[in-house]
Amino acid sequence: MTGLPEVFLRRVGGYGIFFAACVRSTFQHGVRWDRVLEESQKLGVRAFPVLATMAVFVGTNLAIQGHAAFSALGAESLVGMFVALGGVREVCPLLAATMVAAKAGTEMTAQLAVMRTKEQIDALEVMAVDPRAELVTPSLLAIMLVLPALTIISIALALVAATGVAVFQLGLQRGDFVDYMMSNITVFDLAAATLKSVFFGAIIATVSGYFGFYSERGPRGVGQATNQAVVVMCIVCISVNFALTSILYG
Amino acid sequence: MAEPIVRFTGVRKAFGDKVVLEGLDIELPRGQTSVILGPSGTGKSVFLKLLVGLLEPDEGQIEVDGVRVDGATERELFALRKKIGMLFQDGALFDSMSVGDNIAFPLRRHSDLDDDAIDAAVALRLEQVGLPGIEDQMPASLSGGMRKRVSLARAIVMEPDIVLFDEPNSGLDPVTSDEIDALIGRMKEELGISFIVISHDIVGAFAVADRIAMLYNGALVAYGTSDEVLRSQHPFVRRFLARNMDLPDLESP
Repeated sequence: MTGLPEVFLRRVGGYGIFFAACVRSTFQHGVRWDRVLEESQKLGVRAFPVLATMAVFVGTNLAIQGHAAFSALGAESLVGMFVALGGVREVCPLLAATMVAAKAGTEMTAQLAVMRTKEQIDALEVMAVDPRAELVTPSLLAIMLVLPALTIISIALALVAATGVAVFQLGLQRGDFVDYMMSNITVFDLAAATLKSVFFGAIIATVSGYFGFYSERGPRGVGQATNQAVVVMCIVCISVNFALTSILYG
Repeated sequence: MAEPIVRFTGVRKAFGDKVVLEGLDIELPRGQTSVILGPSGTGKSVFLKLLVGLLEPDEGQIEVDGVRVDGATERELFALRKKIGMLFQDGALFDSMSVGDNIAFPLRRHSDLDDDAIDAAVALRLEQVGLPGIEDQMPASLSGGMRKRVSLARAIVMEPDIVLFDEPNSGLDPVTSDEIDALIGRMKEELGISFIVISHDIVGAFAVADRIAMLYNGALVAYGTSDEVLRSQHPFVRRFLARNMDLPDLESP
């Protein structure tokens, strides 16, 4: 077997081994909680402004699209339900994951790839320090902790923005809109969004870690690793989102 | 020869179809400076990576300080590596850390020393490599020679039994190269430990070596003291040395 299928299987196998090694090193070498805290702060501070901006405009557009679709049917009261279902269950978890993948994931891949090029990962190993425990696990835990929080915040901002547009731009009754919207958001929905974001966080951290850790040396290797990581993160997150939605709501 | 600290027995390593080392047998003595000399792409860096367990040999045995490296568990490898310091080709200093934090890094990970003791150890090592007081500088602000010196300070801060040098003169001008060679010689006198130097720089190799091993096409073609290697009649050795040492070139290509 040669060509793309072989490359694909090698990558999947390599990723599986890398993921298992990260889990093993976490148990074997412990967790550097100081690094987890540091990474969490960096991630939260860096991702929040862009994510908040995007979440606001996702909320506004969901309201406008919902209004355009349902007002023609004379069912304007369903706009709130549309915003709730689309925003909470699907768009906001994916939006937060995409932002974190773009900001933290690519940075992690590029940083690891440069460290591989400059032999800094080899240096860690020669100094008897597990590079996965030192470099990957803290980011993995930070992303898995911060992404659910960012997802919930983005949901809240999207709903507020949708309400604003619905009331002040589209002329809907605030009480009706909010009632329909909130009555279609359950604790289960928020738990499902949180669960999705934990999965997305694990995917983003391990995929970006894998491509950075095993990148080819040199500037070309750094660029290729970052590019491949982004593509794979997006495809895997979307696929996992489909699987989770099917399991949770199907 | 003194008791060996490194022993390669029948070591073979290939990457795909490319055989890098073929049946390599060599013993490097304890407490001396051994130089592995040879042209680029002849397996010198692979030799070093096999020695520290970053690569596994396809065949053969590797023993370092009495520990079998091939097939060792991660725990055994980490225990061994705490006794090894390494100066990488480009220094491999962590860009996000200051010089002081780079040197302190192994101590913070593997010792119970308090901050004052670590600061003192860092200052001492910087003094030894001739760069006192630069703890707060970042690696990006250092010249090539300074990076190598800081990397050496980090390599010796844990008081290892063996220090490995991967091409210590690469990318340096001749004057700085001489300074690094002199530093290696001085460190050897001060620390009295085993140094293993990988190099293609003939002048530097003969300046620092107690013993020289010459690799060519994955095989050992000469091994002995500087004088013994200089007297070697192996055609490749003659050709390699002739370029820089004013020896008769017996077999030019």
